[in-house]
Amino acid sequence: MHEKLSRDSVKKGGVDLTRRTFLHKSLLSGGAIATGSAVGVFQTLTSMEVAVAQGETFSFAWVSDTHLYPRELNTRFIDKAVRAFKEVQEMGSNFDFMIFGGDLAQLGDPVEIKLGAELLEEVKIKKVFIPGEHDWYLDLGESWNSYFGETPWTFDHKGVRIIGLDTVGRAPDYWSARGMTPEERMGHMSALDGSQAGPWSGVGNEQRQWLSSTLSDWPKDAPVIIFSHTPLYEVYAPWNFWIRDWREVHEIILQFSNVTNIHGHVHQPLYNEIGGMRSIGQLATSWPWPYAPEGTPELTRPMLRVDPGDHFDGVGWGNLTMSDSMDYQYMMWREQVFGTTRADSGTGDNQNQKLSPRIADRGWTGD
Amino acid sequence: MKSRVLTLIVTVLCLSLAFAFMVNRASAHKVSHDAATLQAFTDAFMEQVIRGDNLFHGATEPGLNMSNTGMACAMCHPFSSDVHPHEFPKFQEQMSEFATLRDMINWCIEKPNEGEKIDPDGEAMKALEAYIYWSNRGSALDPGRH
Repeated sequence: MHEKLSRDSVKKGGVDLTRRTFLHKSLLSGGAIATGSAVGVFQTLTSMEVAVAQGETFSFAWVSDTHLYPRELNTRFIDKAVRAFKEVQEMGSNFDFMIFGGDLAQLGDPVEIKLGAELLEEVKIKKVFIPGEHDWYLDLGESWNSYFGETPWTFDHKGVRIIGLDTVGRAPDYWSARGMTPEERMGHMSALDGSQAGPWSGVGNEQRQWLSSTLSDWPKDAPVIIFSHTPLYEVYAPWNFWIRDWREVHEIILQFSNVTNIHGHVHQPLYNEIGGMRSIGQLATSWPWPYAPEGTPELTRPMLRVDPGDHFDGVGWGNLTMSDSMDYQYMMWREQVFGTTRADSGTGDNQNQKLSPRIADRGWTGD
Repeated sequence: MKSRVLTLIVTVLCLSLAFAFMVNRASAHKVSHDAATLQAFTDAFMEQVIRGDNLFHGATEPGLNMSNTGMACAMCHPFSSDVHPHEFPKFQEQMSEFATLRDMINWCIEKPNEGEKIDPDGEAMKALEAYIYWSNRGSALDPGRH
């Protein structure tokens, strides 16, 4: 039996992509049918795009969560970011723009952000940006804003109101009372399972007012795309897979019947629908995260378990097409994106597992 | 005279060893544990849990080089999820061999983290194991499951 499982016969994901297809038929619109096919490393999306009543069909690319370290420390994440940017540029004629969805840097170091800005020059098409928490909490957004401008922002494109939100820069102050240095503040923020930064993800009152005002003149049935680093609903609060003020935000956006929220942060395929909002979680280029212990939406089709020995496995970028629905393709650097059996599913893998939050960063009192 | 002194010394040594043996036997389980003793056991365990938690989240200790990439265990395993300590030992696909949790910890240190393996019976390994088991406590034993 052991011979059957020897290295040569172990099935591996690898990076020699040959074909990958994903279609998602939105439950919201019930309209579009899209098929994607790919040959070689660079794929072309061949969508049967449905004519839209309110605007033209268009496509765009999403790249996020590159988590760059300084080049001297780690080139692994640089290699993957470069690969994503080159592929986007290779397909550039398909896209009207590229959104970079945050966490360009790992520790908010200006060196990391500058490096990311240089790598992003590979992409010549229009680019828009929203920050992630890893870009922010060393200097509270100073470097990020100097390179990529402030958030939120909005523009109208082919009949769609497009909005970029900052869901990371408005954390309750967890550092001043504790006398943290900027490096300590960033260090606590950079641990996904840390407890000191608390419920840092949120839109905040001021930005909610801006959002409400921005949408006040927009028809309630017209399409809206909202980009955010974190999901605009509650998936799993302990890892900030949410915004803490999602109820107040939903009061604003669920007045509209055709909203698409596209987010990063989770490093995994996620899909959910709430009222008139569909929410699509995107891959990281850096590394995949396991699905949370609870809260993954039932509408999510979980990804295939990842091979931790392959740095290019379980990561990639997003190819999205807006018609009268939102068709999307995970440009993952492997042949099979989704698990087809429970044993191979990233969520089904966690049988019998119970987890506890970490303890070292909050101190143990012996209780 | 010499033989009487020698006999006395041997006798004292034997009595001392017997007493020490009796005391150790007693402290190793022949009497009920009071609350302070139980707390001391817990403290000894939690000290290692916290040490392991810190190592798991990127802390370093003298003599260890668990990562050369800036990556830490917790970056792929928040709350030590997806470690599945309750499933070991098992055939571990990435290693292509039957493996223990300690084997897998060292594989992750050496491969994804590009660090140097740690002593499989050393203090750091025990601390990592303590944290991983503690954070997965309540998980049902399911050895061998893929």
